[in-house]
Amino acid sequence: MSDEQINLDGGQTRMEAAYGSDDGDNDSSAIVAKKEASLGAIFEQNYRPWDGNLGPRWVRNYAIFRHHVFGLFTSKGHRHYNPFVRLTILVIFIGAISPIAMLFFSSLFGAGPDSFIDKMWGINRSNLWGQVLGYFPRNLCYWPLLTALVVGGMISDDRRNGTSAIYFSRPVTRVDYTLMKYLSVAVVLGFVIVFSYMAYYTLAIVFKGEGWGFLIDTLPMFLSGLLCSLLLVITYTSIGLALSSISQSRFFSAIAFLSIIYGTKLVALLIDLQFETSILYILSPYDCLAHLGQWLLGLELNYSHSLSLSVVSLIMMNVISIMILISRVSSLEVTRE
Amino acid sequence: MTVDSAPKLVIETKDLVKMYGPHIALQGLNLKLESGATGILGPNGAGKSTFFKCILGLITTTSGEGTVLGYDIRTQGDLIRSKIGYMPEYDSLDPGLSAIDQVRYSGELIGMNPSQATQRAHEVLEYVGLKDQRYRKIETFSTGMKQATKLACALIHDPEILICDEPTNGLDQRARDFMLQTLRNTVNQGGRTVLMSGHVMDDIQEVCDNIVMIHKGKIVVHRRIDELAKQVDEEIEISVWGGSSRMQNSLESRGLSVRRLGRVMRIKVESEETIPLILECAVESGVQVRKMGEYKPDLEDIFLLIMDKLGAEVKQTSDLMTSEHTGGANV
Repeated sequence: MSDEQINLDGGQTRMEAAYGSDDGDNDSSAIVAKKEASLGAIFEQNYRPWDGNLGPRWVRNYAIFRHHVFGLFTSKGHRHYNPFVRLTILVIFIGAISPIAMLFFSSLFGAGPDSFIDKMWGINRSNLWGQVLGYFPRNLCYWPLLTALVVGGMISDDRRNGTSAIYFSRPVTRVDYTLMKYLSVAVVLGFVIVFSYMAYYTLAIVFKGEGWGFLIDTLPMFLSGLLCSLLLVITYTSIGLALSSISQSRFFSAIAFLSIIYGTKLVALLIDLQFETSILYILSPYDCLAHLGQWLLGLELNYSHSLSLSVVSLIMMNVISIMILISRVSSLEVTRE
Repeated sequence: MTVDSAPKLVIETKDLVKMYGPHIALQGLNLKLESGATGILGPNGAGKSTFFKCILGLITTTSGEGTVLGYDIRTQGDLIRSKIGYMPEYDSLDPGLSAIDQVRYSGELIGMNPSQATQRAHEVLEYVGLKDQRYRKIETFSTGMKQATKLACALIHDPEILICDEPTNGLDQRARDFMLQTLRNTVNQGGRTVLMSGHVMDDIQEVCDNIVMIHKGKIVVHRRIDELAKQVDEEIEISVWGGSSRMQNSLESRGLSVRRLGRVMRIKVESEETIPLILECAVESGVQVRKMGEYKPDLEDIFLLIMDKLGAEVKQTSDLMTSEHTGGANV
């Protein structure tokens, strides 16, 4: 049979018989179905050009922001946060919004304005201050731990892994890099601290069925508390990122942040107890914020030193932290660390 | 696909000076680089990294000017960096990310939208030979795979110029060959310009047609490699057995110049009589010549020759070479 008669392309092939029962003069062959042999994949290296358009500056900046913030919700494709970190942040968030649950139960039970639940968790000056600046559990456990977990590695990982080269060998400026890192941390902190505060105020009004009069009465207090929460987010972000930028270890930046927050508070407390002077509280970021917050919300001041000292100290802390941050980001290398 | 295009000027610097305080890192660099593959050579501290930083527009130059793809290095660094792919020498990957995510993120950082960057990340990871490993975390990668990932990061936006800082650092032979083949393909198939720095001369020679040697912040050589090879003296390489020292003495006593590496000797070809002379010496010394052949100089020889001249025979880099050696570059 000739090759023309065999449809080779159509899956037929010719099988030559190697051994037969005849005398060997005939060409023994048969048409059989062709079996596709598995040859494996042969790697062929082909350079493929790309002619797409590159987005402007905000596209690059949003990529940095998205990489760091979305990583908290899904580690797929974004910055990897340890599951323990994500779980801890979730627990902190739930803890921060726990007064909402109490207000919800209060509304179910029909408790009046003088009830225990309402005094403890209802909207008033002390509770609005406490929602952001209360020491236990928020400023003893929640906010410092939250900040330490988020800022740890934010810049120090780039220094340790050399990933700063990925940023700066591209059209990402150091200003954009710093701003986006700052914004990423601030948004995560803000989501827990500011969002929980706003949710608390809003849902309290909803659950208690308060009217416009209550809203107008409490709005200035709410806005003061909001300002406090923003100042807290800014201050903790500045200090945390500055610490992250000076090391190659996420552990160092986290522990250093906790040490500053707790250490200054402890030293000032001991001095206050021993010598009955509150002046050393100006070294404690939390106490400066608490002092300012008390004034903004119209509460009685717990501190004997002047408010202006706390305000100046707060400004200085932020300025020094940002200066350290700028200086250290400037020193991040592209070619060699 | 092979791209054939006439060489065009991609990088030009004029009297480029960079000083770090009192230390001069680059001394009046005058350079015109055309498209294609160019190796940047020089000892540590010669100014290679500073040169890269200058052309990436990352640092301000003390004086002088320069353009990359027509963009001013002093004022248009952002535009330059969007056209350049840079592969750093050191680790620059997030170990917690998978290769596909790392490459995609590096694309997003250059301005690609996420879907474009994802599609392109798949393409370039296939190109660098990591198609099957692209979903693995980088922390599980070997050095070769990390280098390939860095290359993919640099190639994601199809840059016109690819700068590779010691791309074969720490690679085994197989990974090294593949890396060099990939870089060659990027030049030959893709028609991209590759600037490659390194200390391993063989690597440079395999990929590049031209070399630029920097020494103490100055360009000492800028020429085609094959032209430079002609500058090195023609030599005969022999391998002898028994009495190598006697053979060397005999050759030198007849006025021949000998470079000896154990049993292997390289003898400078003075005239047509050199080979018979070598054989005579072998007979006289009673040694066996087991192998004899023309020795083709490689980049290593060129480099050693130039560095030797820099260190020994010349007092200043400006005294180093004639314009014939430097391809007309002002040293």
